[in-house]
Amino acid sequence: MPATKYAAIVIGGGHNGLTCAAYLAKAGHKTLVLERRHVLGGAAVTEELYPGFRYTVCSYVVSLMRPEVIRELELAKHGLHILPLQSSFAPMENGDHFATYPDEASTREEIARHSKRDADIYPKFEQLMYRMAYAVKPILGMVPPDPSRPGLRGLRTLSDLGKHIRGLGKDTFHDLTKLMTMSVSDLLDEWFETDIIKALFGLNGIIGTKLGPKSPGTAYVLLHHYMGELDGAFTAWGWQRGGTGGVSEALASAARSHGAEIRTETPVAQVIVRRGRAVGVALENGDEIYADTIVSGCDPRVTFRKLVEEKELPEDFVAAIDRFKFRGSSGKVNLALDALPKFTAMNGSSPMQMVEICPSMDYLERAYDDSSYGGFSKRPYMDIIVPSTIDPTMAPPGKHVMSIFVQYASYDMPQYGNKDEQRDAFGNAVIDTLTEFAPNLKDIILHKQVLTPWDIEQTFGLSEGNIFHGELTLDQLFFFRPAPGFADFRTPIRGYYQCGSGTHPGGGITSGPGRLAALEILSDRK
Amino acid sequence: MADYSDYDVIVIGAGHNGLVTAAYLAKAGRNVLVLERRAQVGGAAVTEEIFPGFRFSSCADGSGYLCREVQRDLQPAVEILAADPVVFAPQPDGSRLLIWRDTAKTALEIARFSRADAERYPAFVALLGKIAAVVGGIARVEPPDIPDVGLRDLLSLRPLAGPVRALGRKHVNDLLRVLPMPVADLLNEWFESDVVKGAIAANGVRDLTWGPKEAGTAYALLYNWALSDPGCFRSAGVVKGGIGALCDALAASARAFGAEIRTGARVEGIVTEEGRAVGVKLAGEGTLRAPVIVSNADPRTTFFELLDPYELDAKLVRHVRHIKYRGSAARVLLALSGLPEFTALDGDDPATLQSGPIQIAPTLTYLQRAYDCVKYGEFSPHPYLDVMIPTLLDPDLAPAGQHVMSITAKYAPYRLRDGDWDGRRETFGDIVVDTLAEYAPQVRDLILHRRVLTPPDLEAAYGLPEGNPSHGEMTLDQFFHMRPIPGYARYRSPVGGLYLCGAGCHPGGGVTGIPGHNAARAILAD
Repeated sequence: MPATKYAAIVIGGGHNGLTCAAYLAKAGHKTLVLERRHVLGGAAVTEELYPGFRYTVCSYVVSLMRPEVIRELELAKHGLHILPLQSSFAPMENGDHFATYPDEASTREEIARHSKRDADIYPKFEQLMYRMAYAVKPILGMVPPDPSRPGLRGLRTLSDLGKHIRGLGKDTFHDLTKLMTMSVSDLLDEWFETDIIKALFGLNGIIGTKLGPKSPGTAYVLLHHYMGELDGAFTAWGWQRGGTGGVSEALASAARSHGAEIRTETPVAQVIVRRGRAVGVALENGDEIYADTIVSGCDPRVTFRKLVEEKELPEDFVAAIDRFKFRGSSGKVNLALDALPKFTAMNGSSPMQMVEICPSMDYLERAYDDSSYGGFSKRPYMDIIVPSTIDPTMAPPGKHVMSIFVQYASYDMPQYGNKDEQRDAFGNAVIDTLTEFAPNLKDIILHKQVLTPWDIEQTFGLSEGNIFHGELTLDQLFFFRPAPGFADFRTPIRGYYQCGSGTHPGGGITSGPGRLAALEILSDRK
Repeated sequence: MADYSDYDVIVIGAGHNGLVTAAYLAKAGRNVLVLERRAQVGGAAVTEEIFPGFRFSSCADGSGYLCREVQRDLQPAVEILAADPVVFAPQPDGSRLLIWRDTAKTALEIARFSRADAERYPAFVALLGKIAAVVGGIARVEPPDIPDVGLRDLLSLRPLAGPVRALGRKHVNDLLRVLPMPVADLLNEWFESDVVKGAIAANGVRDLTWGPKEAGTAYALLYNWALSDPGCFRSAGVVKGGIGALCDALAASARAFGAEIRTGARVEGIVTEEGRAVGVKLAGEGTLRAPVIVSNADPRTTFFELLDPYELDAKLVRHVRHIKYRGSAARVLLALSGLPEFTALDGDDPATLQSGPIQIAPTLTYLQRAYDCVKYGEFSPHPYLDVMIPTLLDPDLAPAGQHVMSITAKYAPYRLRDGDWDGRRETFGDIVVDTLAEYAPQVRDLILHRRVLTPPDLEAAYGLPEGNPSHGEMTLDQFFHMRPIPGYARYRSPVGGLYLCGAGCHPGGGVTGIPGHNAARAILAD
């Protein structure tokens, strides 16, 4: 066996893979990152698919990035430059709208315009969510043990967890257990009376999840989105200059600065395993590269069912990975526009950075119903941003790009024909629905990119198109992410690690899994 | 403390839990009075002659789930007439799925729909049976006051030790993972046939407003499983003389131990002095005093009607107001001139196959579709029906040769979005009969009388708020230390001397006697 050239090989140049590589390199280990595509970033990429127009093809906003990663990797130095997205606009079916503004006061005013009572209670609700977010944050930084055989280290984590929970006090703990188990719709019914306000809070409970707002478990997904931290301000969504690809570029630059080597267009075929130990990777071109630590940033299905042979894994572990739920529920439509779309409900003063097509709670629930038998929403929920309004680098002067995150769609929608027909039918439903709210849309479209969950899988290697590498449901969190006994970033194969969003603490551009995985690897290499 | 007392303990409501608590306390030598608003004891577990000569278990049905401790300690004199099969699930195409008490025999039936499922069924029953046993242990525990857990609390978890040991360390993870799951996901992990999944999933949604894809429905299945006869996920049979005979027997035991039971005695309110409950105000009579008052009524009624909410602190009032009841099933009672034969009998003996529960829930998808409407305040056009023909086991309930049929029909919301139940009660009744007739065409011609009890009717007749049979939904956010409200899950209330013993307390609904048993244990411990 040839001499090991690298200390560590990271499979996949997604944001978590790059984060992991940066930490390993920073600790002085010779690290190589192998990315299948021509661009780095995995699902966090910016691509110029139409001359002069740059699309944030898949993921498109930043909010959940762990502050310690930004700090420890000095990402600002490496080009991380996040512009806050502070205003949003949501047209209603009665022609009215709901808007949020950079300053709390104006937002409060807008809420009061819909309901005085809700405006009064809004700050208390925000306080609750902050309290909950603070209660959960330390858990996001813990390495989940195996509850059935925790071992010394696991017991320590469990007792830390116990101490933390005791420390929360009764009220916070009670609120938290409710929040973990209830539906976002029930949660908001306890607080607000105005449907549009509930709908707009509620949508954060279903993003990336094949559940409706009335489904229990969605309140936690809302909280997950509250974890976002931008200079300490929760849920402030942010826009990375140049698109989310810029985040990946910053991470790559940080990794390189510490000596990591990064190769694109280098697809890995398989992990080489000898006597139950990972010793290297075989590339699709036949080359073999050796290292004593192999890390996969891919999702659990790719990591364990494609990159390694079944015989290398215990049976019940394979079963656990096979039942891990992906169920992509969202699609993406990216548009190059000749001008700004005119929303009927928008008066001159209304902000434009983010637009939510989510006019009522029932609209959201019915959108889910359409897809829960395998299809897409006839009238889908859309989370729209027009980055060119805040970042001129995205489109030629006077022109615009529009990023439309769409829910719900299903991975396979055979009732609409072959994959191309499915894509067209889905794309048309999106454009038609959006045109109801912005009649001039169809006339200003220069170029259109439509991605169904199947396309997202094909392009980005996200199984079933799930943007979180697996659903964030209670049975797939902490201990169980991705499988009981292997939620600590290790795998049944010695020297083989996982660092993607399919591990704790889960999806979103957080760099959380990448960082925790690196710390575990480093502790093993000591 | 009262200067004088008429009784040691006054129990408000002679539902089965009230009677169980009263019997235990009388057995322990306390001087106990039970006050029941209605003319007969039993609350929602009564036998009523709805039509001349036809006696129904009009609300609660079946053989009840009376737990072994209560049977052992109180020795109620009842005869349980057991049925086998435990499920008869006719299909639209005239085929059928039978679930027998015997696992091997059931596997043969399942093989008609899927060989693979037939092979997996025994393993499913073995593992989930063990997990159900743990849930049974949880039901008997007095929920610790998490997060402030002391040694005493840990000791009180003893009932769990045996079942957990039997489950085995390897499966502890399965337990933790399965409890918060949707029953649909659980069944998808085991079975491929939509028919097999439908037959089992029905038992995860029967007592809930959720559909089978909602988190928490796996727990509901396991809860019913825990209370059923060993070896099967559902119990089947009737109490001779109807479910009311069970409560009559409990009342007889209570009296035998010296308890006094008054029917037709409506309690107007609980009398408090210096924040302590010291007695009850009887309608048309004076006040009766006792140092211990036990309410068998649901939490909302107890705290908002029997007590003056102004005496309670705001947080408690908020929690009680937020308890989710939302009954979602109607009861349809039919007096039949003869025995309807289901097409799916296919020549076999109706007296056997139709003697247990008949589930009109042909597939998992059917259940999900039935659920969709209730989210929008509409009743199901194709409802899930749980049908009993008790006269097959207990002919005395109807005139010779004639039969009673009682149907639990889901989903029917408490509040209709369009119109009110008085205008649409019979419309839903027709839908239920039409649905039934698709599987048993003769039934229409056999109907002598029909009574439809909507959720509001169940509320009015049996004091079940919103028609919820469990005094509050048995969802994960209203479970264990959260039931009936956070901080008061130990049968004690914030008002000194006032205890709760109804299904609103842990572990919840079903004619189990467990809340009553646990409440008596708490009272005696004080």
